[in-house]
Amino acid sequence: MQTDFSPAQLADKDIAASEAIIRKCVHCGFCTATCPTYVLGGNELDSPRGRIYLIKDMLENERVPGPEVVKHVDRCLSCLACMTTCPSGVNYMHLVDHARAYIETHYRRPLAERVLRAVVASVLPYPKRFRAALRLAGLARPLAGLLQGIRPLRPAASMLQLAPARLPPQARLPASPAGARGRVVLMQGCAEPVLRPEIRAATMRLLERCGYQVSFAPGEACCGALTHHMGREAEALAAARRNVEAWSREIEAGLEAIIITASGCGTTIKDYGYMLRDDPLYAEKAARVSALAKDVSEVIEAAGLPARVEIPARIVAYHPPCSIQHGQKLTTGPQNLLRAAGFTVKLPADSHLCCGSAGTYNIFQPEIAGQLGARKAQTLEALRPDVVATGNIGCAVQIGQHSGLPVAHIVELLDWATGGPAPAGL
Amino acid sequence: MTPQNTKEVCEIIGQALADGEKLEIVGGGTRAQIGAPREIPTLCLAGLSGILEYDPAELVLTARAGTPLAEIEAAVAERGQGLAFEPYGAAGSTIGGVLAAGVAGARRVSAGGARDHLLGFEAVSGRGEIFRAGAKVVKNVTGYDLPKLLCGSWGRLAALTEVTLKVLPRAPERVTLCWRGLADEPAFALMRAALRAPCDVAAAAHLPGEATMLRLDGVGPSIAARRDYLGAALAAYGPPEALDDAAPLWARVQGGAGLTTEAPLWRLSLPPRAALGAIAPLLAAGGAYLADWAGGLIWLALEGREALIREAADAAGGHATLMRAPAEIRARIPALHPQALGVEALSRRVRRGFDPMGIFETNRFLDEADAD
Amino acid sequence: MPLPDQRVLARRDEIIKALRQIVPGEGVIDAPHELRPYESDGLTAYRQPPMVVVLPETVEQVAAVLRYCKGQNIKVVPRGSGTSLSGGALPLADAVLLGMGRFKKILEIDYEDRLAVVQPGVTNLAITKAVEGEGFYYAPDPSSQIACSIGGNVAENSGGVHCLKYGLTTNNVLGVQLVTMEGEILRFGGKALEAPGLDLLGIIVGSEGLLGVVTEVTVRILPKPETAKALLIGFPSVESAGQCVADTIAAGIIPAGMEMMDKPAIHAAEAFVQVGYPLDVEALLIVELDGPEAECSHLIQEVEAIARANQAGMIRISRDEAERLAFWAGRKAAFPAVGRISPDYYCMDGTIPRAKLPVVLQRMNALSEQYGLGVANVFHAGDGNLHPLILYDANKPGELERAEEFGADILRLCVEVGGVLTGEHGVGVEKRDLMPAMFSEDDLRQQQRLKCAFDPELLLNPGKVFPSLHRCAELGRMHVHRGALPFPELPRF
Repeated sequence: MQTDFSPAQLADKDIAASEAIIRKCVHCGFCTATCPTYVLGGNELDSPRGRIYLIKDMLENERVPGPEVVKHVDRCLSCLACMTTCPSGVNYMHLVDHARAYIETHYRRPLAERVLRAVVASVLPYPKRFRAALRLAGLARPLAGLLQGIRPLRPAASMLQLAPARLPPQARLPASPAGARGRVVLMQGCAEPVLRPEIRAATMRLLERCGYQVSFAPGEACCGALTHHMGREAEALAAARRNVEAWSREIEAGLEAIIITASGCGTTIKDYGYMLRDDPLYAEKAARVSALAKDVSEVIEAAGLPARVEIPARIVAYHPPCSIQHGQKLTTGPQNLLRAAGFTVKLPADSHLCCGSAGTYNIFQPEIAGQLGARKAQTLEALRPDVVATGNIGCAVQIGQHSGLPVAHIVELLDWATGGPAPAGL
Repeated sequence: MTPQNTKEVCEIIGQALADGEKLEIVGGGTRAQIGAPREIPTLCLAGLSGILEYDPAELVLTARAGTPLAEIEAAVAERGQGLAFEPYGAAGSTIGGVLAAGVAGARRVSAGGARDHLLGFEAVSGRGEIFRAGAKVVKNVTGYDLPKLLCGSWGRLAALTEVTLKVLPRAPERVTLCWRGLADEPAFALMRAALRAPCDVAAAAHLPGEATMLRLDGVGPSIAARRDYLGAALAAYGPPEALDDAAPLWARVQGGAGLTTEAPLWRLSLPPRAALGAIAPLLAAGGAYLADWAGGLIWLALEGREALIREAADAAGGHATLMRAPAEIRARIPALHPQALGVEALSRRVRRGFDPMGIFETNRFLDEADAD
Repeated sequence: MPLPDQRVLARRDEIIKALRQIVPGEGVIDAPHELRPYESDGLTAYRQPPMVVVLPETVEQVAAVLRYCKGQNIKVVPRGSGTSLSGGALPLADAVLLGMGRFKKILEIDYEDRLAVVQPGVTNLAITKAVEGEGFYYAPDPSSQIACSIGGNVAENSGGVHCLKYGLTTNNVLGVQLVTMEGEILRFGGKALEAPGLDLLGIIVGSEGLLGVVTEVTVRILPKPETAKALLIGFPSVESAGQCVADTIAAGIIPAGMEMMDKPAIHAAEAFVQVGYPLDVEALLIVELDGPEAECSHLIQEVEAIARANQAGMIRISRDEAERLAFWAGRKAAFPAVGRISPDYYCMDGTIPRAKLPVVLQRMNALSEQYGLGVANVFHAGDGNLHPLILYDANKPGELERAEEFGADILRLCVEVGGVLTGEHGVGVEKRDLMPAMFSEDDLRQQQRLKCAFDPELLLNPGKVFPSLHRCAELGRMHVHRGALPFPELPRF
């Protein structure tokens, strides 16, 4: 597409990067076909092509973003299905990340929004605070209905509704013995260990069976995806740097891979190299970290599934998280692993379409998230599976909200098939 | 009046305009018996005859509109090609005539109708102006698709002087599979099932109480493979005969020729699934029928009951055309099925765009517009 | 384009308010920044924000909007998925842009009668996806089929690779529901093979949004062929490839698809998808045959023999479905592949008699040198539909204009050799001013009288397809030939 940036504007590296991305767009519209918000609403403004246009207008004209632009960018799930579909190689992810950061620094949100976003950014990335908040949420749950009726407070209602009824107890994990394949660091994350600690336990057992020694990196914390997707760049980069430091120390001690079980984090960690490209102190280390970051399915696939044990035959409906299929472009690996483990694997209709979790999307955009969640649940239930398998904590929670089917992380199923306990609900 | 070239056609139409006269456009006059009896001067285009261009590799043939259909068919057959919509007509039938009457044979169900094979034309409008539309290539979307409109327009828009047709290769072999003595319901179900199969069935017809036929066109090995597939898919109906010369049977289907009664002949175009149900009351009233286009085309011979016939067609989402009847009936009953009011008014406005003075409005179809 | 009506613009606020009464909520868009993304379709060289965007959800809303606009003399531009390559959905400054993207339902699938009834915003590929479980598909397959809407396909009479054997949209549509500018909701065609009376359905398809707004489409669905096989054939010259195509057709073979790419296109595609296209050939032919296994095998042998007789160098035959798709991957990615080697490209569309391909390519190469812009060619060899891709950089002053002039010269050349201006993309804005190259003034007037029957005030999609805007009264005037005509000055239309 034709762009109209001045040389002065292009002197800014971020603007120049976004300009290069925009130039690749030929406005063909293929992306609208797979964009969940366009599929639901039929409005060009809520499509990748439309958002690219809005962002281009905003950046070219150095506007103070108006509420309309913010509305449509906020509605983007960052599912990246558009990147999978785009024939021209537009890196929409980097463009919308830049746009969010730009909006955060140039646009003053209404008070209620600012407060809610601040609460989310200061609670969810911190497991201790998150646990405390979830206990409070249990008490405040009856208020959800009331909050639902007040438009600006709907996200608060969503948060209460998403909070689990009971908090699982925190488990002590035994130390991992040395393994023939070497050492890996298992990323702990923020939401996953609080909501579903059994995933980490299953992952450790599986990795150890494969011959890896599993360590944890002191000083590691939330990957920063959450604040990154809210446009809070300073916090996101701080989180990235912190993790790069923590993992660089581990890399120096000898490391095969940094393993991630929440694929939403995986996409961001693999992008650390890009995010910190302009930071002379961190650029190289971040690139090395990104290169070593792997989704757990990649590592198991490369190592080969350990020997199977006898388990009952089960039909698994596999829900590929957007971050896996579009973000990290892992299309056949997880399914192949599940089949190799002896499960009957089926894909739902429109498996490329987001379930609506999208990080904190189901908090801030409850209507659209609700519609997408209902659609996803319907397509999964149509398969009449015994269990839904997925690779991201967000998807697991979202699907759990909209369907009564048992939901497991793929590592839990692989663990079960190779000697571990049956996941809950099976 | 029998002009010999386009200029003479213009003059005749111009004269009719000046004199306030009406004109009926005629080709070979082989379909004059369709429509109300009328005494209108004819503009006979049979004098505009001859193939102008024919390029088999481009799949395109251009001929003057009055060229006999037989001449065109012979020319293309020589090069192993044919008109895929299988038009037909009595001796003297012209290509312009079959296009204007929207004639198509059994293969219409798979290959499309006249309108799917007219690529371009030249004509003289009711304003006396020569105009061209469409083109001489098969892939064209430049401007409105007027060739579609001219097909089946019964000479009410313009006098065709030159037509460009899409021609297609003729299959080297054809086989007709024939089931004998099937009752109506299973026969129709069989035809529909055959068309749902990935077997490229060229045509499907049913002569009640006698024969249900499927035609397969193509090359030997392909026909054999498709025969096997259909044999298995349609096993419930019993094994078919394979007829090498089914021409007499198909000849009876064409144009409803197999219905030899003196009763008026109707042509019903219906959604295939609804067809049998739609004609049930008409058969109960004494009608005889045969079915083509897998049940999508019903030839019906029935005395009287004109309103019932049209209602039945309407209710099924189709329409009924009166093809042959004594003059006295044709004077009362419009040959063409009445259209919904909004569409009728729109059609009238479209016709006036070609023929503002109404010189082609001969009341043949008993729907002549009132004067402005 | 017609000049904006200042009286309409002056009443903009009142109009928007009235439209909000008809289509509530986010269905009416009027904020200036929000109008910008609607200012263009797939042809970004042309941009014009509309006065307001309306996104209706029901047929009644469409009828009410059109009735209101007719009463207020407001122009209306319909829009599907906005993927048109000819500017068909380009708005006007004083027009309502009527987006049909919310009409996304598949209303009925009838496997017995082999048809589907869908709303116009349903994408072309979505129809095939809805019926493929039962072994059916919708045949016309434009390259944008993932995103283009069936309503848009009806407006443009879209084609695609497989239209050689299976026809264009118009050969696969059984009926439409259309709302006229009056707000009348009319049906044309339906489930029967033919409609009574004039074939108005036949002119609505391909009418580029000028005659009415389509609100429902009934399409033919076909049983999926048992198998499909493809040949990838390399030729030492365009002439030999072209002769191979002619010989194939002369031998009585109509393949499911037959596509040609010239050397620049081959190189661009291979760089993008790496499927093993030969880089040392002047022309590549991809021929697809579908049908029963026995037929495919037989025809493949015949085509192979014809290719060898025409000096084919490399011939590969797909051994399985995956390989067949791989052969096509490069061709299907040809446009975006070219987009990766050039900041912008201008995709042309014209049809020529197949035999003229070598001379047209020669003249095009000469033009390419003259204009200083590269060109790659993708050709629907089976039906003569040519897609030259002109490479340019919109950010370099003057290059867009030169690309457009180059494109216009190519289209004039197509008409000159006996072809047409557009084989499947439509006239839109892009080729409007070239219509006189193909049609006489009388021809164009006769076509425009058709429009007068549907939309006498010329409010639907003005400025598209026809270069001169004649008022219907003027078009209705009769010339006097001989003798006197009663009341000659009275408009008759």
